[in-house]
Amino acid sequence: MLALVPWILTHPGVTIPELAARFEIDAREIERDLELLPMCGLPPYTADRLIDVWVADDGAVSLRLAEYFERPLRLTPAEGIALVAAGHALLAVPGADREGPLASALDKVEDALGARGGVAVDVGDARDLAQLQEAVAARQQLEIEYYSFARDEMTTRVVDPARVFHAFGEWYLAAYCHSAQADRLFRVDRIRSVRATGEVVEAPSVPAGTDGDLGELVYQPQPDDLRVTLRLEPDAAWVAENLPTESVTPRARGRVDVVLPVSALGFLERLVLGLGPAVEVLAPPEAREVVAAAAARVLSRYEPGR
Amino acid sequence: MTDRVERLVNLTATLLDTRRPLSLEELAERLEPAYPTEKSARRRAFERDKETLRDLGVPVTVETVDGLGGEPGYRIRPDDYYLPDLGLTADERAALHVAITAVRLVGGAGREGLRKLGGFEGTAAVPLAELEATPALPDLFDAVTKRRVVSFEYRGEPRRLEPYGVVHRFGHWYVVGRDQERQAPRAFRVDRIEGAPAYGDAAAFVSPPDVDPAEYLRADPLTYGDEQPVQAQVLVDASRAAWVVDELGEAVVTERRADGAVVVELSVVNRSAFRTWVLGLLEHAEVLAPEELRRDVVEWLRGLTGVAR
Repeated sequence: MLALVPWILTHPGVTIPELAARFEIDAREIERDLELLPMCGLPPYTADRLIDVWVADDGAVSLRLAEYFERPLRLTPAEGIALVAAGHALLAVPGADREGPLASALDKVEDALGARGGVAVDVGDARDLAQLQEAVAARQQLEIEYYSFARDEMTTRVVDPARVFHAFGEWYLAAYCHSAQADRLFRVDRIRSVRATGEVVEAPSVPAGTDGDLGELVYQPQPDDLRVTLRLEPDAAWVAENLPTESVTPRARGRVDVVLPVSALGFLERLVLGLGPAVEVLAPPEAREVVAAAAARVLSRYEPGR
Repeated sequence: MTDRVERLVNLTATLLDTRRPLSLEELAERLEPAYPTEKSARRRAFERDKETLRDLGVPVTVETVDGLGGEPGYRIRPDDYYLPDLGLTADERAALHVAITAVRLVGGAGREGLRKLGGFEGTAAVPLAELEATPALPDLFDAVTKRRVVSFEYRGEPRRLEPYGVVHRFGHWYVVGRDQERQAPRAFRVDRIEGAPAYGDAAAFVSPPDVDPAEYLRADPLTYGDEQPVQAQVLVDASRAAWVVDELGEAVVTERRADGAVVVELSVVNRSAFRTWVLGLLEHAEVLAPEELRRDVVEWLRGLTGVAR
């Protein structure tokens, strides 16, 4: 609420609907807050020491004697880092205007926080990122060569690109895949080549959306995906946060059990081999066997004929 | 509920208005709606209000003042409270609006921050990127801006860091700076800090001029860490060779074999990151040298082939 006061003081005549739009606060909430303000001020709360609010017939809001709230409250560290990180991240995306208003805004915010040179954001530079973003914007159909790790093969597909986004440290292309006849997510760094087919796509079948968790777009567990139960030592507990687990159950001594839907066994093999003694596959038995077999296969390169 | 909001606004105004710190008794005399008269209830109510204000970013300072007989005195120093006028233009505000809607710091307070800067100018962007965030990040960022030494446990060892910056790379946040004990630059993954860090006083050190925090994290995640680097040779099968070369660059290739396999050479400091990377290639890669890294991988795998645990 106090965030609005400086704006009202410097923009006399602003109306409640305008305030609601600018600050994305419900108009009724603003009205309630404005009703509250006249009771606020300084001791002894006599008429000359209270905040005066009046709303004119045409809806214009005016404030008097609120000089203590004339200037905005400073940014908290959480607000500061959110603004600065977002600014740097957007400037790191290919095609960003590094001399434009975002760059100058970021300089001003950083100066106010004393954070100049204190934050750097790298969102990775996948090779065809700019071309994919253009294709989404221009609704161009694409033919892509894509390496599927799960199936250990290179595939060529025709796709209708809907969205390019970055989550969990990687760039993804959400698109309708004509080979699969379904919406698919492709990791941009596994796309070996991109070619426009010349066709224009009607409208994205994958909803562009303006809210919602980008992370949720990344992996949609299917009902018939294998559910694997892993017991994680404290060292590996970060897995519970970074992967789309279905359940997380804390156990004694900092361990944690998770149920993870797995669509490609190769993924499970790589995950467990990478974590080593920090993870135990509890169930199902076939998952334990798959992992042990993978470890044996890799070991046989080092100890052939053992 | 509204009583409390009123009191919070009045408390803020009173603490800003005063020229000297005020004791709780003095505040209780002045504020409306009044605090409870019973002493401990009054203290509890005030402490709650103070916490709420602090959570909002209102910097209530506590000072012991002689004139108050040893009682703590409270006020808000105007310089601490107010945002200096940034002089943001409408275009700049619109650009920030696009930035915080295009890029979301998970659990972040970008929207609140933008409200303080004058609200949501222009149109929102379609979400483009999500950055991981960890609970320690805002306080570490604060330590960077205020130049506070940070102490924390990392891989079981106590560390003391002069933080020069926070860096987001490979999907994770790192705090970088100078390790006071080792007297050397270091980078630490924020989500691997064990427990809650402790922060020292502000202005405790001087950052080197023109520090680039990204430099502290060399390009390869395999190369940050404490141990001496070793040169590793890895044989990668034809089926994965193209990918590995794409990922690491042509310069790492030391040999190309007739069957399409390649031998690559890597500078390794972080052994566990290296092991994770090699094992990610499953049976399509083999550590050729040095013997210590090869042995490390074999021991690791042997531990995994015993299914019954």
